[in-house]
Amino acid sequence: MVHQGIWSGTISFSLVAIPVQLVRAVVPGRITFRLLHRTDYSPLTRRMFCPQHDTLVPPEEIIRGYEIEPGRYLPITDQELESVSPERSRTIEIVDFIDLDEMDPLYFDRPYYLVPLKGGEKSYCLLAEVMRQTNRAGLAKFVLAEREHLVAVKSTERVLTLVTLHYQDDVLSADAFAPKEESSVAEKNRIKGSIRKMMAAFDPGKYADARREKVLDLLKSKAQESAPVEAPHTTAEEGEGPPDLVAALEEIMREVKKKR
Amino acid sequence: MAATTIWKGVITFAETRVAVKLHAAIKEERIGLHLLHRPDLVRLRQEMICALEKKPVPTAEQTKGFEVEEGKYLLVDPEELEQTVPESSRWIEVHEFVKRAQVDPVFFERAYYLEPDFAATGYNELVEGLHELDVAGICTWTMRKRSYLGALQASGTILRLHTLRYADEVIAANSLGLEEIPVSERELNIGRELINQLTAPFLPQKFVNEHEKKLQQLIEKKARGETIKVLRPRLLHPTAADKLLQALEASLKKAA
Repeated sequence: MVHQGIWSGTISFSLVAIPVQLVRAVVPGRITFRLLHRTDYSPLTRRMFCPQHDTLVPPEEIIRGYEIEPGRYLPITDQELESVSPERSRTIEIVDFIDLDEMDPLYFDRPYYLVPLKGGEKSYCLLAEVMRQTNRAGLAKFVLAEREHLVAVKSTERVLTLVTLHYQDDVLSADAFAPKEESSVAEKNRIKGSIRKMMAAFDPGKYADARREKVLDLLKSKAQESAPVEAPHTTAEEGEGPPDLVAALEEIMREVKKKR
Repeated sequence: MAATTIWKGVITFAETRVAVKLHAAIKEERIGLHLLHRPDLVRLRQEMICALEKKPVPTAEQTKGFEVEEGKYLLVDPEELEQTVPESSRWIEVHEFVKRAQVDPVFFERAYYLEPDFAATGYNELVEGLHELDVAGICTWTMRKRSYLGALQASGTILRLHTLRYADEVIAANSLGLEEIPVSERELNIGRELINQLTAPFLPQKFVNEHEKKLQQLIEKKARGETIKVLRPRLLHPTAADKLLQALEASLKKAA
């Protein structure tokens, strides 16, 4: 599988430094449907557009800026942004290790994977294996674009997972929601009894499957109603449906064709 | 704090019903930068561009399709997709309970606090039960025309609901195909000892976002017309594979 790097730099703990690349751990957008142009069935792609010049803007003509007054922007270069925290823009320095069981999911934000770059493979394997054996995660701060993130790095099947965490300052107080009433032991024991009967192993796949079934049903009925449309030929663009769904649908399409 | 209720629902499993109100648990405010066109500093817009005509397509002219084979799409109207979403209901249905540690961090998406709705019963008892058994309830619900998968957990004296990502949205760690490099027992031993030395309790309040303040200072400086001194990012020299043991030993000495 080809993974696209979002960031590259070094992850370090004490005196060991490992060159790594940050890659996606999540494919956004659930089951993917392509946005199409209603008139010519051509696929649509997201692009940055300049309303003044009425043109598409290539990445090298884009600069970040801060709005100082309505419609007036102060441009800030990538080099200037990197200068804000130069010690953190290319380095993920693990400052503490913590017990994984102490991590509160309240803080979890976005997950990524780290993959080793050339020369870092062995140190990477050591860090992943030692964290797996000790059930620990490393805490670090690092800057991605203009944002600084507190992150936890853990080992998942010997792959380093990086999860950005919310800062304590961003966590709202829950004090107002604490219930005041006393609780009943009999009721608690009854609830615990129900919970025990409903214990299972966490199997997230089955919920994804149920959702996938629903979408497949819809596509099946669509396939019966009308033939697929053909997009005009253009230069290849990225993006396609999940392969397992495509395979399932090919089957359906064959059946539909037979009936016609 | 006048907290606004996002949604109201009823947790349900076996004979238990607990009426709750959802509140946001996280609020993030960050300095927002915009993307500009370099030559004239005009703010750029994100547009959906037609691959054929190379021009922006307004929402009214957009439709959705599922690619059945290359370049061939089954047309699906956005409204029809909405119909696959189950009817709105107030139920937060718990399907099963799992040991808390089984839910990998990669699944967690968003957190909500649950406040007992007035006249709710069983709230405290559910909190205590979840704590004592160290479990989370895996549940589904429909909120604002979207179905959610979630984990119901206790935290202190309150309940929390976390939305979970679907498994098919998560890239499996083993699909990255990373090569396994053998590490010696000696390196592992020292590595473990080092990590034990560097382990501390999880105290999130210890970490503050210093960067945000510095970014604000940079913007103020630039706005006053001062030149910004460009600093080179710190780059670390990677530890060579044959120097790993040495680096670990030196680290351990430093930590002790």
